Amino acid sequence: MPSQTADQFEKSGAGPADDGDVDILVGIPSFNNAKTIGHVVRAVEAGLTKYFPAQRSILVNSDGGSSDGTADAVREASADLDAVLLEHRVRGFHKLVTPYHGVPGKGSAFRRIFEIARDHKAKACAVVDSDLRSITPEWIELLVKPVLEEGYDYVAPYYMRHKYDGTITNTIVYPLTRSLYGKRIRQPIGGDFGFSGRLASFFLEKDVWDSDVARFGIDIWMTTTALANGFKICQAFLGAKIHDAKDPGADLSAMLHQVVGSVFGLMEEYAGTWSAVRGSAPVPTFGFAYSVGLEPIHVNVERMIGMFRLGVKDLAPFYQSFLPADLLASLTDLAGRTDRDAFAYTDDAWVKTVMSFALACHRKTLSREHIVKSLTPLYLGKVASFVIETWDCTAEEVERRLEDLCLAFEREKIHLVEGWNGKD
Amino acid sequence: MRNLIHQVIIEPLQEVYQKLVAFLPSLLTGIIVFAAGLLLAWLLKLIVVRIVRLFKLDAAFDRSGVTDALRKMAVKDTPAKLIGRTFFWLIAFIFFILALKVMKVPSIDQLLEKLLLYLPNIFVSLVILAIGWLLGNFLGRAVLIASVNAGVKISSQISKGVKAVILFFALVMAFEQLGIGRNTMIAAFAIAFGGVVLALALAFGLGGKDLARTFLEKRFGKKGEGAEKDDLHHL
Repeated sequence: MPSQTADQFEKSGAGPADDGDVDILVGIPSFNNAKTIGHVVRAVEAGLTKYFPAQRSILVNSDGGSSDGTADAVREASADLDAVLLEHRVRGFHKLVTPYHGVPGKGSAFRRIFEIARDHKAKACAVVDSDLRSITPEWIELLVKPVLEEGYDYVAPYYMRHKYDGTITNTIVYPLTRSLYGKRIRQPIGGDFGFSGRLASFFLEKDVWDSDVARFGIDIWMTTTALANGFKICQAFLGAKIHDAKDPGADLSAMLHQVVGSVFGLMEEYAGTWSAVRGSAPVPTFGFAYSVGLEPIHVNVERMIGMFRLGVKDLAPFYQSFLPADLLASLTDLAGRTDRDAFAYTDDAWVKTVMSFALACHRKTLSREHIVKSLTPLYLGKVASFVIETWDCTAEEVERRLEDLCLAFEREKIHLVEGWNGKD
Repeated sequence: MRNLIHQVIIEPLQEVYQKLVAFLPSLLTGIIVFAAGLLLAWLLKLIVVRIVRLFKLDAAFDRSGVTDALRKMAVKDTPAKLIGRTFFWLIAFIFFILALKVMKVPSIDQLLEKLLLYLPNIFVSLVILAIGWLLGNFLGRAVLIASVNAGVKISSQISKGVKAVILFFALVMAFEQLGIGRNTMIAAFAIAFGGVVLALALAFGLGGKDLARTFLEKRFGKKGEGAEKDDLHHL
């Protein structure tokens, strides 16, 4: 089971094939993931061996200087193929452990993976998170095959998640990205993607590697870049996504700033593209969709409503500078309602809120960080309202409810375009 | 007697008359320069106001809260008018100084020299105040948003406090630059700042000891009685 460092690999010019080229490259960005990365490496190895026995493949671990032995965990991880497969190829499975350079962050790790994909002329690539607990060999098949055999350039993941899991994705990123670019990609910031070598080279040509994209926001950047530049896109049903809980103390407003700020930033770059798009269309989905039993999660609605009330009260003078007066009045009215069941942040109000925030960032009269971070209490209000409304609903019913929200975004888009072009 | 009258009254009057006659062209030139300056200032004001309106800066000032802040300071003009007015007086002042220079009066020259030497101090003070105002607004807003997002009930007061401290600090620096009551201002600032810190220390120490205990217990793993968190994964 050959395992080499980047230096060894590049100096020797050796690799999975004599000419150094590969068919499939799977990248795993990491930083101090020694506990979980072994399982991911084993799943990737089993996936490549089982589904792509004839292809030349390589696994690349792009590490940010881990000090917990992540690199050793990658080198030592080895799938017991005899237990997994009845028969398998005996050709070596090649691993490359390489540090990335530049701005610390997932984006820089991805850049290194793209560079290796370009240098070794990889035909199909995939990236998977290093903290995944639910990854199976089938993920590799689902992320790589549409590229290798169907000619797709970008494969977005489609997970089965708890109805209240991924609320930023559900209430902002998915509906907004869908209404902007017209493609229904359910998990635009999923974290695990498949892409062609052509698209990897295209990503590398973009001058973003010293910007915030290198630190955070690489997921939405990749999805948006693929969407806005006309690449052939599909999604793959991967089942449940279970991964190590991120830092529980992670600041929600910082998360919003990173994700929503990135979406708003990309709106500037691709204004010419999205402003001409109306409506949306589904994208082909690969994989067999099935229901997954997910553990119930506890939601403290009262705390979220309390945060919403505090935000509307204290930030009203700030909101006044960019939210329409009627919207602010309705939010103030909502904050004043004492009956929990009457707490309903309507879809129309929420869409107007998100679009007003996008326009405020576009006008650049206030700090973007301040604008996006001040969305936090309103976002919590929307989540609380959504939870109250859908408490007794099944996951499928909630999905239908989210469809209504997406349609509201699509209806309101015309006003966003007008506001963007200066027609207030 | 006639000689005496000539010496005491006529000669000085003649001298004054001659000086006036000699000064008159300079005065006239000064008046013309000043009048031209006023005309130029008025024209420039019109142009500046037009430019500000053309670029819709009034709306931008509205959105950024500048208009509101001016209104609170009892300034009724729109920012566009205010900018125009500032340009008018700046040009008028420059031409006033030029006019005085043209008149070549030694005592005025001396005064002007002192004023010109002092002008940079005024300019620096104004810059300090402007930066203080902008920084106060920016940091005040940053603190407000951060504390609201952290669920702090007195976010508004904390934000106003931060803004006031920064403005006060800028004011002290501006006065120090102008050399006005330098020691008094520094002492006042030290007393006020020290007082605020002491008051906060006492308030937090006495009033917030339970809160601090809860915070420390939560921070270091012991179960506190704080608000129940949820398990939502936002991403």
